[in-house]
Amino acid sequence: MASNNGQFEQANSSGFPDEMIRRFLLGDLNATERPVFEQRLLVDDALAARVRLAELELADDYAYRQLSNAERELFTEKFLLSADRERKVRVSRSLRDHFAPAAVAGGSAAYINRLRAVFGVSQLAWRFAFAVVVLLLLFGAALLVIKEPRLARQITNSIVPRRRLAPSVPHEASHSNNTSAPEHQTTPSPMPVHDQTAASPLIVSVALLPMASSPGDATPWISLPKGVEDIARLQLAVKPDQLGPYRAELLTSERQPVLSGELIKAPDNGAQVNFDVPARLLKSGDYQIRLSRDNAGANENLGSYYFRVQ
Amino acid sequence: MPPATKLHTLQQEEFDRLLTWLDPDAARAGLDYEEIRWRLIAILTSRGCRSPEEVADETIDRVARRVADIKDNYVGDKSLYFLGVMNNVHHEYLKRPSMPRLPDRDDDGDAKEQTHACLEKCLDHLAPNSRKLIERYYAADKRAKIDLRKRIAAEFGVGINTLRLRALRIREKLQTCIEQCVELETF
Repeated sequence: MASNNGQFEQANSSGFPDEMIRRFLLGDLNATERPVFEQRLLVDDALAARVRLAELELADDYAYRQLSNAERELFTEKFLLSADRERKVRVSRSLRDHFAPAAVAGGSAAYINRLRAVFGVSQLAWRFAFAVVVLLLLFGAALLVIKEPRLARQITNSIVPRRRLAPSVPHEASHSNNTSAPEHQTTPSPMPVHDQTAASPLIVSVALLPMASSPGDATPWISLPKGVEDIARLQLAVKPDQLGPYRAELLTSERQPVLSGELIKAPDNGAQVNFDVPARLLKSGDYQIRLSRDNAGANENLGSYYFRVQ
Repeated sequence: MPPATKLHTLQQEEFDRLLTWLDPDAARAGLDYEEIRWRLIAILTSRGCRSPEEVADETIDRVARRVADIKDNYVGDKSLYFLGVMNNVHHEYLKRPSMPRLPDRDDDGDAKEQTHACLEKCLDHLAPNSRKLIERYYAADKRAKIDLRKRIAAEFGVGINTLRLRALRIREKLQTCIEQCVELETF
């Protein structure tokens, strides 16, 4: 009946695997296994010796935090019910504290510490990696802005009110034969009014003054949006007494008609006429707009406006 | 347990008769008694019994009282007779109103200190090889345990399972030594 360690080496042939002994200790045998195991335990010294050692091993595993969550639950509910086993666990803890103080912090804490050690920002490699990521992001953003001017304009429009300098216009001298470069008066164009939601077309505006002829290098330019629905809004300055409605005709530099508009009305301030041209109709090159109105049944020419598409 | 049964105190004569029935040799009978008690407690604990020692002791008391009647005619392994009686006692125990489980005790500081001190003493009593083995066997945490134990097994020229059994046997000796040491320190 007494424990016989000499028989222990042969105990594995008793038909009860270590895993089953462990489940017995954790109270996890089923109704079929239990009576067979209990009866055998009482009469089989070798099995009893194995159970004793397994009991110590289980207490050690508990103290060293090597049990799964389910096993820990069973351990406290079904195993740790006798004073004898409490003493065993106390010795297991003492062994742990004595021989493996690093394990005292516990498996989870040790795991977290290991994660910190690997992913900690104090690691030189991670610092370098973070720096590379930031640089890549900056480079990518710059590339995006360069490659996608429309996006850049959208960003700009959402941050800074879009204003474009009005083209210079010669003063009275522009009607003279002076061939020198004309003086330019810069007049900021009013803010375009348009819907800035993502679905609405993009409107690019340019303010134009009437000129007797193309100003050459001083021709105001416009950078076209690429969307099929986008619009180039040509803001044509008119004298206050030149009331509408107006007629506008867009021509290429070769005098080829591109678009004409009838019954165009000036906004309330009356200082300019907005002539919207679908951007898709425009290509790179110089253009001219002829603005006129009906004045007592006669067509009155109000001026020509020049601009360049880049 | 019925109150009438609990009031019955085991007489020394009955206990002696039990030991004699287990083994005519007193020393072996004492070991048999301890072994049976431990196995009963193990079974009861596995069944989830909250008072395994109490039920096991009650079982042994009842067997002791019956020994006079059965000793001449009982055939078979005597341990199995304990199992049959234990099933009845446990069945009665389960019918009793369940006692609320006491909250888990924190490891008592004094007991912990005593255990530490006794561990040091008991380690000194180990043979050098045993001490070396146990120190190394219990040195690693979960992550390093497997690798370390493979290395130890190779150093000692044994297989992993043999190493485990050797370590656990030393552990068992330590447990016994520490419990005796703590008991002596306490009294």
